Amino acid sequence: MTVAPLSRDLDRGELRELVAQIAADPERWRPLVRHGTADRAFEQLWRDEHVDIWVISWMNGSDTGFHDHDVSRGAVAVVEGEVIEERLVVGGAPRELHHPAGGVFDFGASHVHRMRQETDVPAVSIHAYSPPLWRMGSYAVAPDGTLRRESISYAEELRPVKAAA
Amino acid sequence: MYEAIDIHQHLWPEPLLRELSRRRSAPMLVHRATGWVLRLRGEPDAPVDLADHDPERRAALVVADGLERALVAPSVPLGIEALPAGEAEPLLEAYHDGVAALGSRFGAWAAVGLAEPDRAALARLLDRGFAGACVAADALAGPAGFDRLGPILETLERRAAPLLVHPGPAPATATAGTPGWWPPLTHYVAAMHAAWHAFAAWGRPAHPRLRVCFAMLGGLAPLHRERLVARGGLAVSDPDVYLDVSSYGIRAVDAMLREVGVDRLVHGSDRPVCAPAALPFGEAVRSALRGRNPSRLLVSTAALAAV
Repeated sequence: MTVAPLSRDLDRGELRELVAQIAADPERWRPLVRHGTADRAFEQLWRDEHVDIWVISWMNGSDTGFHDHDVSRGAVAVVEGEVIEERLVVGGAPRELHHPAGGVFDFGASHVHRMRQETDVPAVSIHAYSPPLWRMGSYAVAPDGTLRRESISYAEELRPVKAAA
Repeated sequence: MYEAIDIHQHLWPEPLLRELSRRRSAPMLVHRATGWVLRLRGEPDAPVDLADHDPERRAALVVADGLERALVAPSVPLGIEALPAGEAEPLLEAYHDGVAALGSRFGAWAAVGLAEPDRAALARLLDRGFAGACVAADALAGPAGFDRLGPILETLERRAAPLLVHPGPAPATATAGTPGWWPPLTHYVAAMHAAWHAFAAWGRPAHPRLRVCFAMLGGLAPLHRERLVARGGLAVSDPDVYLDVSSYGIRAVDAMLREVGVDRLVHGSDRPVCAPAALPFGEAVRSALRGRNPSRLLVSTAALAAV
């Protein structure tokens, strides 16, 4: 497939429009759906210097853990099943948002979230990031309760070793 | 699991060493009191440590590098491919026969004689199990090169076998006192840039399905995208083009990861010329460079789908 190239990075509205357009055209994303694997499967639908687009297949309680996207903005369109997004609240329970098929949401580079899938129905979502993903922050709570951020390559999230098995 | 592989090493097998030592003009191996010396046109004599080309020692190094296999590429800087056909032929045959006999830790890239590019000879080498063909960047640095080597690239494309674009040889202009790193940092880099842009301009339109790997991160040519656009060029992402990371380290590889993404990079060390750099980008990057991506470079996804 081709995406009309832009000569600059995309803003949140443009990313949202982009994933909604792709979601509305199953011929573009359905060949990249992978439901046979044990965990989330990531297939890159497009990458150029300004945007990368992924088709993510979710199943069996897939969970990203809390993470950020460093300097990238993003948008997600859910096309099958349902994914749950959690946003970290300091001193309170995470805010939980349910995104069923047909849902679209976007976020800025300052956004920290966790995404998971927990029903028996596998989910599929289209993700676009601009500028393309490079580094990400992965969050964990230390035994003393303090929040820790680890800088990781986007490959740790989208090209995990266990998917190569 | 994918096979962990180094797609870019060099090893002069015994038959090639013998042929090179038999020659009376460059490229040739000369025996001196201090040991063997390699003489190339226009370059200062360089000592050669034959232990670097000992198959057993090198096979052990493949294992020590945590790999299952390494692909041997012809040493393009020797200039063998560019010799007149009659001179090139015995050397190319010695290379091909020698590397084909290296055992299970090694595969190899076929060399292509440039005086008379022979598609039938390449087809026979692919039949013998060669992974693809390795061609000098200078031979593919413009439209004339793609015309001349068109039948070779067409053969690779039809056989779903990849092309490795490798730097060298340097033009014979070095004078005494020129350091050994001069050609690799000047001519090789420029030639890889030319080949990178030439492939996008003339190679890809003529060979839409050919998978290509550029050694040494294409001399960092992809990082010049902004300049390309500023000067009126069109930057195109090509999912069938790969870059090996040979001779580069954490900064250049990180910049390239950002520019082209992890799926385009493959592990190539250039042993014994260079040792692989430590790339502390995590297990996922390591696994992509050494396993997943080489498997896509070497075996077409179309061929995989047909299995």
